[in-house]
Amino acid sequence: MTNDPLSLTFAALADPTRRAILLRLAEGEATVNEVAEPFEISLQAVSKHLKVLEAAGLISRGREAQYRPCHFESAPLEAATDWIARNRQIWTERYDQLEQHLKRMAHEKEKKK
Amino acid sequence: MTSDAPTELGELTITRIFEARPEVVFECMTTPSHLTHFWGPIGMSTPLDGITVEPNPGGRFETVMVNDETGEEYPMRAVFVQFDPPRMFSFTEAGVEGGMMTTIVFNDLGDGRTETVTHQTNVPPMLMSPEAQAGLETSFVKMDAYLATLQ
Repeated sequence: MTNDPLSLTFAALADPTRRAILLRLAEGEATVNEVAEPFEISLQAVSKHLKVLEAAGLISRGREAQYRPCHFESAPLEAATDWIARNRQIWTERYDQLEQHLKRMAHEKEKKK
Repeated sequence: MTSDAPTELGELTITRIFEARPEVVFECMTTPSHLTHFWGPIGMSTPLDGITVEPNPGGRFETVMVNDETGEEYPMRAVFVQFDPPRMFSFTEAGVEGGMMTTIVFNDLGDGRTETVTHQTNVPPMLMSPEAQAGLETSFVKMDAYLATLQ
């Protein structure tokens, strides 16, 4: 597994529990206990998931030793969305120019006749 | 398998129709003397001497796009995975976002036109299972809606 940011984002999102955690945190910050509440898994398992999300930059944790509230970070998801938008733009412009190129080719073929 | 749905994670599909036969469009997409005319998007050039096409599976597919204003260079270092003229070709870029795969299929519309379907993905293979896909899509519809509220 590579460590570039987009791969980390996608890997972190591959797990349904982590996605559910993220959706919960998107509504507002919460402590580990609050995050764990709706899930039938141990606090330890929830902590593990939170670590993966934190490594991917999808959440941040507060400094207070006791609660360390989890906070949703939107930047990595926006980066993933931006990547798609940027590539779509490049391919669209590339194909616009190919269209022109094909027109010129057809035109020159006509002239040669 | 895929559509133009904007919510798909890490994937991009672009469908275009060209007024030329598949043989012509395929040749344009895989010949340096043609590529130099259109490969760079607007504001970018792709000089002929920076283009390498080794037309077979495992062969190199390399271009250098140059920003017309700043002279900044954007190299692409890819390797063909499949090369099946004039039906399709695919290539991988190991250096991009953990490995990106691009597949371009040329569909003969039978009336002198060609439909190309360009599919790009950098989703790691472990995410490609149908269950993972279904889960990601529903999550992303929600996530997109949420992100929209932030802006």
